[in-house]
Amino acid sequence: MNPNLDDPKLTAYALGELDAAERADVEALLARDPETKQLVEELQQTARQLEGELRVNPCPELSAEQAAAIEAELSLRAEEARQPKWQTPDMPERPPLVRFRLLELFAVIAIIGILAAMLLPALSKAKMKAQHASRREDLRQLSEESLRRPQTRPLVGLDLHTPADVNNESYAPISDNGFLAVGENPLSTFSIDVDTASYSLMRRFLNQRQLPPKDAVRIEEMINYFPYAYQPPKDRQPFAANVEIANCPWNEAHRLVRIGLKGRDVARDKRPPSNLVFLVDVSGSMQPANKLPLLKKCLKLLTQQLTEDDHVAIVVYAGAAGSVLPSTSGDNQRAILKALDRLEAGGSTHGSQGIQLAYETAVANFIPGGVNRVLLCTDGDFNVGITSPGDLVRLIETKAKSGVFLTVLGFGMGNYKDSTTEMLADKGNGNYAYIDTFEEGRKVLVEQMSGTLVTIAKDVKVQVEFNPAQASAYRLIGYENRLLNKEDFNNDAKDAGDIGAGHTVTALYEVVTANQSASTPEVDPLKYQKSPRLNTAATRDELLTLKLRYKEPDDDTSRLITIPVTDDGGNWAAATDDFKFAAAVAEFGMLLRESPHKGEASFKSVRKLAKEGRGSDAEGYRAEFLELVDQAEALAGRRIRQ
Amino acid sequence: MGRGERHCMDEIEAKAEWVRKALREHEGPLIRYAAQITGALDRGRDVVQDTFIRLCAEDPRRLDGKVAEWLFTVCRNRALDVMRKEQRMKPLEESQLPASASREPSPAEQAERNESTRRAEYLVEALPANQKEVVRLKFQAGLSYKEISRVTNLSVSNVGFLIHTAMKTLRQQMQTDEGQF
Repeated sequence: MNPNLDDPKLTAYALGELDAAERADVEALLARDPETKQLVEELQQTARQLEGELRVNPCPELSAEQAAAIEAELSLRAEEARQPKWQTPDMPERPPLVRFRLLELFAVIAIIGILAAMLLPALSKAKMKAQHASRREDLRQLSEESLRRPQTRPLVGLDLHTPADVNNESYAPISDNGFLAVGENPLSTFSIDVDTASYSLMRRFLNQRQLPPKDAVRIEEMINYFPYAYQPPKDRQPFAANVEIANCPWNEAHRLVRIGLKGRDVARDKRPPSNLVFLVDVSGSMQPANKLPLLKKCLKLLTQQLTEDDHVAIVVYAGAAGSVLPSTSGDNQRAILKALDRLEAGGSTHGSQGIQLAYETAVANFIPGGVNRVLLCTDGDFNVGITSPGDLVRLIETKAKSGVFLTVLGFGMGNYKDSTTEMLADKGNGNYAYIDTFEEGRKVLVEQMSGTLVTIAKDVKVQVEFNPAQASAYRLIGYENRLLNKEDFNNDAKDAGDIGAGHTVTALYEVVTANQSASTPEVDPLKYQKSPRLNTAATRDELLTLKLRYKEPDDDTSRLITIPVTDDGGNWAAATDDFKFAAAVAEFGMLLRESPHKGEASFKSVRKLAKEGRGSDAEGYRAEFLELVDQAEALAGRRIRQ
Repeated sequence: MGRGERHCMDEIEAKAEWVRKALREHEGPLIRYAAQITGALDRGRDVVQDTFIRLCAEDPRRLDGKVAEWLFTVCRNRALDVMRKEQRMKPLEESQLPASASREPSPAEQAERNESTRRAEYLVEALPANQKEVVRLKFQAGLSYKEISRVTNLSVSNVGFLIHTAMKTLRQQMQTDEGQF
């Protein structure tokens, strides 16, 4: 080896990187060439210095949360290793109800006879109760009962309506709002509802060649599934109201009033930073492709929309709850996507622990002035742990006060608990969507992302006062489980629905004008009071006064908007496309619900209205609606022939 | 608890300990390394968290003696993925900005560090990116040429050449510095 001071071998030697033969070569050279020797010594010293200085340097560490995430992963893996059968697909830990059904079906059939005798009176009593339950409180109680029902094992297996079906879905009963006389009930009060789940549920049934169960059809959710091009608010108002009136398509003599609210739009790039917690149900019941796998795809889609200002944490729950991803910046997509990828279904469902942990995580990473939201993804089948689903609802109600909002994304079918999921969203300052397809996930989480995530006004209540000089009776279409007492309107402690950025909310009233007699049930005249006399305001030709109350998202005091509305006698020829389409959807809903008020409603008329009101329909939602109408008509025809 | 189960438990515990040990030994250098690639300490931490979560899925026997190399390889790939995604999303000018801004130590940090440390850091930081990377892997992570070659996909002689060149620069600058003090 010849002396060459620029030989990388010398550096390698100084760093101890040479093998024995090469080392011997270099050492021979060093022995005879002092200059090289000095260089090597200098190199060794530099190396020592670098090693010492670069290592002594205060070393960055992972945050406590990140270290905890690694520990969580370890214990998760340990648990898997200890219970190898936990996630074996052919032995999923089924929810007890299903196991009960499959294994003991025959035994069940044997005791049906005995039980039926005991059940029938109770059932008809429940039915009567449902008919009487016109008030929200009663309905709430009823649905809480229906929530509790799945816990009483022997009764639940026997769904008397569809005994041969393995279907174990549950829907809270709804009875259609009837006509109310303006004289006795001049005020109609309800909470807005931006949920859209009922429409996707209905679509799922129809696409499976089944008519949806009546109680799964919530007309207001169907109407609100579609975006409408209402006038947006001006100035700093959170939303604008648009009222339109025409004759009622299914009852020519009546008038149809549409109230359309349009929430302020928030451009995607103006979206405030988000602190999101995905709370994912990974219980055994989530295994089918339309549940966890679809859910993962949808959440990935959402994750891809996030930016470095956003943070995502993931909490899972099954038999136990755990955090799988601490709050992670949206620009670390891979970590989030990876965490989503790793989710697997197994075990039973312990809802409350997960909810607790998710809210704690959201509160710990709270962004003042930002979007703070828990996204609960579930089939709603909570079957372990909590003492009763009523408690679950109360838990959510308490959590809603922390300023963290809730989005419930419902998935799957078979044992889907619509009543549970809807109630959770309702109580949790939340919204609720049912996701049956990837396309639906895209609509809710991408196209309407701002609306789903950014709440612009909360506790939005609507109160309509009808003028007895113009209207004799009215009927609110849908919103059965959103009705409020008239005194709730001014009561800020009373919770109501929230409106998201760019959301539209539509409500329809069918109104009987004053010159017609209304077919409302007669009430005896009062013995001690005179019926109220009209004041001068009633002599104006206003049909109604629309009052809206709302709170800014971080405010506790409501604001009031009052809008007097006059019927200028408009008819369908002059109606907007959006009004026509909303009326078509309402009419379709009434047909599916076999509403007692459907009048002349027919699939033909639905189709005609929907076609007229189709508009530009850029996303194709309205075209799809028309297909569903055809589908439903075919199924309904078959049912009549049978 | 049967003997088989006991054995299984021991194995689980041993594996957890193995991950924790790797974390203790390599956490700092890995974060530094990832931060250098991604240009931000926070992003570096995220990458390293992810790397260790992936380590939890590995078999300790398979990685026997190769943990450091595995960690740096995975960490590097993750960090580069993050950067690739970043660059797709950012306009060109921004992605070409020097990534050092977020690495500037705070006054408090600065006070903690001693003179020489800061000097070495500073000098290393001034090296070209490819030299900087191998120097950190060599001196901060303590990897061998061969390991560095596998982590970075460079040949061993290429690694040797880069380190040699970097050392030459560093040696000269350190000597000049010392002359000044």
